[in-house]
Amino acid sequence: MSEWLWCVLALLPAFVVPVAAAWRGGTAGRLVAVQLASVLASFLLIALTFALDEPALIDLALCLALLGVPGTLLMTVFLERWL
Amino acid sequence: MNLAVGAFLGLAVAVCWLGAAGFARLRAPLDRVHCVTFVNVAGGLALLVAAVLADGVSDRCLKILLVLVVNLVGGAVVSHMTGRAVTQRAGGA
Repeated sequence: MSEWLWCVLALLPAFVVPVAAAWRGGTAGRLVAVQLASVLASFLLIALTFALDEPALIDLALCLALLGVPGTLLMTVFLERWL
Repeated sequence: MNLAVGAFLGLAVAVCWLGAAGFARLRAPLDRVHCVTFVNVAGGLALLVAAVLADGVSDRCLKILLVLVVNLVGGAVVSHMTGRAVTQRAGGA
């Protein structure tokens, strides 16, 4: 097993923490948890592209990063005004 | 080379674990934003160095650099907006 696959497996418990935090708690806490989960998910995809030697996975990480920023900004506007 | 890659990957994993532990330990959303930034900056740099050591300067590494730049620049804006929203929600200025 390569060091990249070990990295993926080691990142999974750290990924569970923000996912569990996003599952429950207040709205603001959930929003921050989603931010951390998004960052860790992009790290997981980066490590997976090396572990599986699948170059297409890096495009998923890029899409996640590019779409995550406006998505989270939209959520902050909702949080600030209506939620 | 594999040892250096493993060392930087271990550093990235340690940073992510530390950030997740801090996230679980801190309760206030404004405090938790610091953990997100720490993971974003320190973990991303370690992962980028490991990728460059493993792959050299390639298309894949340039895309990783782009992901990290988007995460860093976007993360700063998103953190500011989140802090502002949380403060206004709490009845602050």
